[in-house]
Amino acid sequence: MKSKYIFGGFIIVVFFSLMGYLFTETNIGYEEDFSNVINSEKTVRATGFWVKEKSYNVDNQKKLFSFYMKDYNDTEIKVVYKGAIPNNFESATSVVVTGKYQNGVFVAKDILTKCPSKYEEEFEGSAT
Amino acid sequence: MIGNILVTLALLASIFTMIMYYYSYKGYTNTLVYARIGYHVMAVAVVVASALLLHAIITHDYSYKYVYSYSGSGMSLGLLISTFYAGQEGSFMLWFLFTTIVGLVLLDYSSKRGDLEPRVMLVFTLAVSFLALMVNPALKSPFNFIWMEEAYIDISKINQAFLSLPLLQGHIFQDAQNNTSFVRMSAELVAGLKGAGIAFNQFLIEGKGLNPLLQNFWMQIHPPLLFVGFSMATVPFAFAFAAMMKNDYQDWVKQALPWTLAGMGVLGLAIMLGGYWAYGVLGWGGYWGWDPVENSSLVPWIIGVASVHTLLVQKKTQDSGKGSRFVKTNLILSIMTYLLVLYSTFLTRSGILGDSSVHSFVDPGMTVYLLLVLFVGTFTLLGFGGIIYRWKYLNQKFNFEDDTLSRELALFTGAATLIASAVIILVGTSAPIFGQTVEIRFYNELNLPIGIIIGLINGLSLILKWKHTKGNDLWKSSQIYLGVATAITLGVVFIGGVTDVMQVIFTFSASFALSVNSDIAYKIVRKKTTFAGAYIAHVGIALFMLGVVATGGYTSNEQVDLVKGKPTEVLGRQLTFTGYSPTVDGKYAFNIEVDEGGSKSTVAPVMYIAEFNNSLMREPDILTTLTKDFYVSPLSYDDKRQTQSGSDGRAVTLTKGTSTDYNGAKITFESFDFPEEGMSSMMGGGDFEIGAKIIVNVDGQTFEVEPKLTSDGQNRVFVPASIQEANLKIGMTNLDASGSVSLLLSTISGGSEPVQTPEEVLSVEASVKPFINLVWLGVLLMTAGFVVSVVRRTKESQS
Repeated sequence: MKSKYIFGGFIIVVFFSLMGYLFTETNIGYEEDFSNVINSEKTVRATGFWVKEKSYNVDNQKKLFSFYMKDYNDTEIKVVYKGAIPNNFESATSVVVTGKYQNGVFVAKDILTKCPSKYEEEFEGSAT
Repeated sequence: MIGNILVTLALLASIFTMIMYYYSYKGYTNTLVYARIGYHVMAVAVVVASALLLHAIITHDYSYKYVYSYSGSGMSLGLLISTFYAGQEGSFMLWFLFTTIVGLVLLDYSSKRGDLEPRVMLVFTLAVSFLALMVNPALKSPFNFIWMEEAYIDISKINQAFLSLPLLQGHIFQDAQNNTSFVRMSAELVAGLKGAGIAFNQFLIEGKGLNPLLQNFWMQIHPPLLFVGFSMATVPFAFAFAAMMKNDYQDWVKQALPWTLAGMGVLGLAIMLGGYWAYGVLGWGGYWGWDPVENSSLVPWIIGVASVHTLLVQKKTQDSGKGSRFVKTNLILSIMTYLLVLYSTFLTRSGILGDSSVHSFVDPGMTVYLLLVLFVGTFTLLGFGGIIYRWKYLNQKFNFEDDTLSRELALFTGAATLIASAVIILVGTSAPIFGQTVEIRFYNELNLPIGIIIGLINGLSLILKWKHTKGNDLWKSSQIYLGVATAITLGVVFIGGVTDVMQVIFTFSASFALSVNSDIAYKIVRKKTTFAGAYIAHVGIALFMLGVVATGGYTSNEQVDLVKGKPTEVLGRQLTFTGYSPTVDGKYAFNIEVDEGGSKSTVAPVMYIAEFNNSLMREPDILTTLTKDFYVSPLSYDDKRQTQSGSDGRAVTLTKGTSTDYNGAKITFESFDFPEEGMSSMMGGGDFEIGAKIIVNVDGQTFEVEPKLTSDGQNRVFVPASIQEANLKIGMTNLDASGSVSLLLSTISGGSEPVQTPEEVLSVEASVKPFINLVWLGVLLMTAGFVVSVVRRTKESQS
């Protein structure tokens, strides 16, 4: 056996098995159906829309930002995020939150807002 | 119109060039001159087209849909120019431009080196053709007019003087939802305007503008530099493929080396400038967030850097006449570097990462998606097809055994480790394709041991000699370095307080690499400056690694509310919010005085509402000192008017059934008045109202009042109650469901109204990031090392 392959192979094998293990540990699935989000115990990444009618709430004391989000079936969940209101939040077309559903609220570790750069196309759709 | 003609001409010229180079490669002698003419025609077309786009941007010509969509007025010239590449179309155009220019240099370079030119330029021009195809008028041309597709333009962007024109009737639409009006842009309307003698750029006078997140100094530098790096990454692929065409694997290595070095130097700097942008301006807190878009440009860099090392081994072994090592590895890595650049482009521009990254592009449409797949697919097939085609020959001809204690093997192992890191990042980054993503932990935990191995191998490989080293010699020469590394590590553990085992080992590994490389760099730099490049770059990497340990593991942060004028203790500093002031560019700076052990300074993080997207934007401010950054990120600002009791007012808390005396009145809290339907409404987060039944006995009279708490599910409002006869006002300030209320009692007359004292509160997140300067210093040294090496390897490539 050539030394080159022993050394290189060893590193590749060790790290790829480590990677396989960690991947199953840390992977986060996408979820667009909130009924699955509510029933899941894993960390998920949920995509949905901010329920504008219910506004949002910033608790300065506890540093909590909370709002309601719904999916395409209009299933609603309350999202609580420790931190400030994200940039672009008010104008986002959709919101992607990463976290876990616990005790009746979705505790988000991360909020990503999608900007309405496709606005015109959407308007076209609604105008016709 | 001219722009679209030019990009079409460029596409045709590039195809012509390819054909001519192909014939030159096949042995025709008269076609080479046509190929060169073809390339130069294309280059001129691209340069003129780019100049045209730039001109349209600077003169605010919004008849181009691209200029309207991404540019606007009121920006500095630099930022205005940067809108050139703010969207898909323009950034393809910029990549196209840079690749074309790199090709001009490559044409000159390869024409001076034997029969290289036709082969190298054939492959290179193919890459250029794909980019030309991308910006053609049917796909992502930045030169398409706004009326070519139906578009709805916000009425505020249109010259108000023309709004009453009769020809506009039937073109204005209302969006009832958010109460805005739009003008539907169509060829018909444009013809009407023309008929009325109105120039289009007088009609449409404003663009959508540049996203405020991008309105920043680094926007002018980071993206262009990244595209220069991407463009240069094409060259190693072209060289590797050219070598396979000729089935000669000797010369391409030294010819490609300066290109790979330069490309990776630029790409590495570009990536870290992006990190600095994220850190210093966007307020992401750190310089690296394992964001998929950042990752996707890091992966080709890692592979490119691995290839630099294995290319060197092949060159070294060839020069000493001992046969060529790592020939196959070099071909594969050089090809992979470019393939990964293309893959990165695919990931960021196909819309796949849309849900997982803040800075990916939106879905570009099916045709572009397919063209991107075709682009990646073609080069993958070419690259790996070539290797498979030549594999038998390569395997027979280049087959060597390396000694365990040799620099060759150490470098190979180092390259393998880098590849492992690249694959790991690639897997995590590609997960969104399969509807998955990974936690940040995935990257950190896997790259920590990789960093350790890299540092150790880096130091070791330089102590090891080429070919073979005696175990005894190795031990002797490494003692001093191991000693220095141990000393640094002990210092970091005992003074710096680093205790995590992995981080201690990581520190040791980085210190080891640092001591070996500093020593060699010091010895070499005075004698043969150009030979010191590698060591300078390695010192940079080692310092970078130390910086990562310090900032990654030992950043402390705290969220805090700063009341105006009130000093607050935060992370060992006294912070005093002194109020906000408008800045020259229409934002607000929130001034905070920082007092650290008597030395005073000011930080002023910025917040403002951006008109672009009607959102609150935040920019951090950093107090940089040699050993640490004090990083202040604004969260929110509130000038809430807090109710405080007046001069004769009094705050009390009563439990159910208890009383208190105030101004001769006996005040008793009877019970809560909580309607049945209010209960269910409150549970559901809807509107509700709670009253507190208060009985007041004064001068023998009994009054019953009910201060209330009302809520619409979001905002709670306390409604006070008054009794004129008793000159008494009762406000509720809080209530507890277990049966107590907090009341604010005051008289109605005589200045006893509760005083409204404004209290300005600024919420910030403050953090101390130790030794973050090591990160930036490391990057700068690394880049300097690349530059020095490029100079040396360019000289060598001429021999």
